[in-house]
Order: sequence, then structure tokens, then C-alpha cells
Amino acid sequence: MRRGGHGPPAIFRDLSMENIPLAEPGVQLSVWALFLQAGWVVKLVMIGLLLASIWTWAIVIDKLVAYARMRQSLNRFEQVFWSGQSLEDLYATLADRKTSGMGSIFVAAMREWKKSFEKGAKSPLGLQTRIDKAMDLALTREMERLEGKLGFLATIGSAAPFIGLFGTVVGIMTSFQAIAGSKSTNLAVVAPGIAEALLATAIGLLAAIPAVIAYNKLSSDAGKIAVRMEGFADEFSAILSRQIDEKVLPKAA
Amino acid sequence: MRAALTTSAVMHAVLIGFGLFSLSAPRAFEVADIEALPVDIIPVESITQIQEGDKKAPLAEKPAPLPTERPEIVPDAVKVGENSLDTEAKPTPEPKPRPVEAAALPEPSPRPEPKPAEEPKPEPVVEPTPPIVPATEVKPEPEPRQKVEPDPVKETIAAVESEAEAVALPEEAPAPAARPQPARAQTAKAPDRKETETPKKQAAKPKSDEKQFDADEVAALLNKEKASGGGAKRSSEQAALGGDKATTGETLSQSEMDALRGQVQRCWNIPAGAADAGDLRVSVKFRLDRSGALEGSPEIIAGGGTAGVERAAAEAARRAVSRCSPYTLPAEKYEAWADVIVNFDPSEMF
Repeated sequence: MRRGGHGPPAIFRDLSMENIPLAEPGVQLSVWALFLQAGWVVKLVMIGLLLASIWTWAIVIDKLVAYARMRQSLNRFEQVFWSGQSLEDLYATLADRKTSGMGSIFVAAMREWKKSFEKGAKSPLGLQTRIDKAMDLALTREMERLEGKLGFLATIGSAAPFIGLFGTVVGIMTSFQAIAGSKSTNLAVVAPGIAEALLATAIGLLAAIPAVIAYNKLSSDAGKIAVRMEGFADEFSAILSRQIDEKVLPKAA
Repeated sequence: MRAALTTSAVMHAVLIGFGLFSLSAPRAFEVADIEALPVDIIPVESITQIQEGDKKAPLAEKPAPLPTERPEIVPDAVKVGENSLDTEAKPTPEPKPRPVEAAALPEPSPRPEPKPAEEPKPEPVVEPTPPIVPATEVKPEPEPRQKVEPDPVKETIAAVESEAEAVALPEEAPAPAARPQPARAQTAKAPDRKETETPKKQAAKPKSDEKQFDADEVAALLNKEKASGGGAKRSSEQAALGGDKATTGETLSQSEMDALRGQVQRCWNIPAGAADAGDLRVSVKFRLDRSGALEGSPEIIAGGGTAGVERAAAEAARRAVSRCSPYTLPAEKYEAWADVIVNFDPSEMF
């Protein structure tokens, strides 16, 4: 059980006395010492949970930054889009740039529009459907990019407490085995092993709680962005539909 | 993503590093050094039991009776005293106790000297007997008595006894208190009948003197020495406060009490109507001898009025105690059940 490499702890020296002087506090019972004392299963669990926590926070930071950027770009695009600028000009500026969000939806729709008219649109209904499909596809791609890796947060949020609990159970099990071997049930003998086992649960919760909170916040943020982009897509689809009617019907007439 | 991952890793490293330095082990609880206090649970009987000692002596560490003066050691003696026989009786307050010869141990039966039965001898001793015999006795006519008179055995005993006590007689008059009245009545009645039936047989075999001694010879048979009483165990220690005898401090166990209760209950006829007569509790106190038989008559110490159902209840309780005697109780705990108080409560029976 004890692999700290500090020799036999002082608490094992005199078990018959009522109040055993604990080993010098601060040396034996700090968090680091507890980690070092733990068995390899518990250590593995702790390290795994630590890595999960690091990854969770990485995702959270990444998503927060990405969403902030996305919102910024949406605002900018809407400003430009509703400024009365010609759609052809806007398409010309955005076409060869790397776009995101509404920009990419706009580019996808405009590209389909252009292609259809270059080859001569036969039916306005077919054109409308194709443009809608193109915008849907662009929207889905954007959302995929936004919501990717959020599933990992959900997984950590629900699984990390269990992983920590597993570490605790293993730690306490080993601790009890050691107690049985030491033939003393004194609390001073029992306590360090249990404290070290509980550390695993603590780390598990430490990883899980931010993950759950972040998952809920990020997924609702992503939902808001998606609604906004869908709204834009519908609006743009309506504009294009009007344009098609204006262009196609005089031709037919 | 790479930037985020780096940020996260750095953040964790900083947090853990901060935790390692600031989150050291919490301060140990302040625990006062308390001596462990071992607690034994001991039955109170061993403390409260009385040890043998002297009632008037000052209190000392260990109770001890008055030191005895006679040196000889009597094996297996239990009771402290100057006697050479171990008796239960209390020591008499005589200044110089002397060895008891006759009171404690009966003299060995008289040497059987079978004399010819035909030897007739006038018996002058018999004459004063008739007035002493209680009037209530079913007395046979004086006629057969006359026939019996020439009793050789009685004669011989009388002779022997008078020989032995010849010196003692004139010194002191027989103590009147020591004459047991009922015993005399018995001797006056029982042997007489027997002798009338088979005088020859009796004469032929030597009998113990109890059977045949004459009432008037009791005086001669009596020991003139006052029994000194007391036991034969010698005490050499300084007298210290204590009781007359050591009590064992034993109590009846719950099951033994239940057994006694069951024995009494078996014989208890609950008076009719007692069930709804409310509080008819009766406490009966009685004494038992070592065989478990009732000694004396049971005494009502609580409950039981003067009339009516209360009196009936009291009598029923008393009858129950008398009918069930003797009781079977553990002999080694006699001290615990020598005096018994039994509560009879009819309301608990229904």
C-alpha cells in the first residue's frame, strides 16, 4: 500500500497507545504525498482524470473562443448584408475568401444561383429547391464544426465521477487489506489510506463539474447560433425566391 | 485547438503547482493527552456481602472476630469460637468458655449391658410423673403402666446415668428453661404404648436412651455445664468490625426465582371474584429450612384486610405457601432463600 519511499510511517511504531502521534503533518499527508502513497490503479485513475480535465478545459476554451468569433462574424456579415450593398458585389468579395457561418451559407446559395443561371434555368421550382439544399448543407457543415467535441464534455461530465469512485473503491479496498495485515483498527492507521482513496473521487468531481456546466452552456450557445443562421438561411431563401420569380417569369412571358 | 489545449495544460499545471504548495496537509487536530481509564464491571454482591468480624470492634481494613484464646486447631472448622466442636450457635457471653461435653454431641449410646430381663425392681421414680404429663394427652390408663414398670433397660440406663452425673447433681439445680415441654409429653406417650404391646422384646435388645428415659430423669440427663456455643475456628487477628457470620452475597438467578414462583403458583387457588376485585395484592413472608421445607408459619406482611375478599385472598396466599412446602431450591444458595417474600397479585393471573 505504502510506496512513498519514506520508510515505515511513524504511525505504525506504537499501536498499543491510545493517542498515536501522527507522522509529521505536512510531509505525510499533503496532496502530493497522498498521490505518491496511492497504489498504481488509483494513480492511473488519478492521472487519467487529470488528463481528461486538461482536455475538457481545452475544449471549453476552444469553444468559448470559437463561439465568440462566430458571433462576431455573424454580426459583421449581417451588418454588411443589410447595408444595401449589391449581392453580386458581396459574393465577389466573399467567394475567394475563407468564410464561416452566414458567409458560407450565403456563398453556397449564391454559387448555386450563379451556376443555374449560367446554364439557363428551366424551372424556377427546381432552382429554388437546389438553392435550399445547398444552404442546408452549408448550415449543417457549420453546425458540425461548432458542436464538434461537445460530446466529449458530456461524456466526462457523466463518467468522471464514476471513474473517481472506482479509484476510491480500489483505494479503500487496498487500504482495508493493509489494515487487516497491520492488525490494528486504529483510526490513525485507517485514515491516510482512506484520504488517499478519496482524493481519486475529488479529482473525478473536479473534472466532471466544469465539464457538465460547460457542456450545458456551450450546447445552448451553439443552439442560439444555429437558430440565428437558420433564420438567415430562411430569409435569404425568401429573397432569392423573389429574385427567381422576377427573373424567370418575364422570360417565360 | 492547439492554443486551447496549451492554455488548459498550463492552467492545470499552475493550479496543481499552487495546490501542492498551499494545500498542504491540514493541521492535525489538537488532542489532549487523556489517560485511558479502564472500567471493570463487577457485581455489587461481592462488595455488599458481610464478612465475619466483631460487631463492637472499630472498623479496620479487614473484618476479623475477637481473637480466641484456646490454641488447639480443629480441622475444617467454619465458625470462629473457643469451642472444640464446630457449632452454629452464638458464643454465650460467659467469661470463660469451657469445652462442651454433652450438649453438642450426643453421648455414644450406652454400652449395651444386657441384663436378665426377669430382674424385677421397684421403680420409685415413676410415681411423680402423672401430674406432669399434660392433661390433653391421650393417656392410657395407669393400669398397663404398672405392668411395664419392671423395665430392666430403663433401670440400667438410670443406673448408668445417675452414676455418671452423681457428682454434678447436688451442685446445681437443673435449669428450668432448658426443659423442653413438648419433648416430655412425647416421651410420656409414645414409649408407654409400645411397652404395653411388646415388653419382652424391648427388654431383650438395648435401645437408645431417648426412647425409654423417664421424665424425671431429664434432670439427670441434662448437662450442667452451660454450652459455650460458638464454633471451633480459632482467630488470631485483631478484632475488627464485621458481622456475626459471613454472608455469601449470592442471589437467586432469574430462572431460579421463576422456578420458585412456579412452585408457589401451582398451589395457589385464586379466590373467586378476586380477578375483578381490583388491588388484592398480598405479600407473604416465610422462612425455609435447608431442606426447603417451611419453617414456622407464613406471615402476611402486606395486603389482606380484616374481612371479606381481602381476607380470603390473604388466606389463599398463606395456604398456597403452606401446601407447596417443601420447595426445591439450590442448596448451595441457602442464604439467599432462607427468608422469602412472595407477592400474590391475582390481577396478573388473568
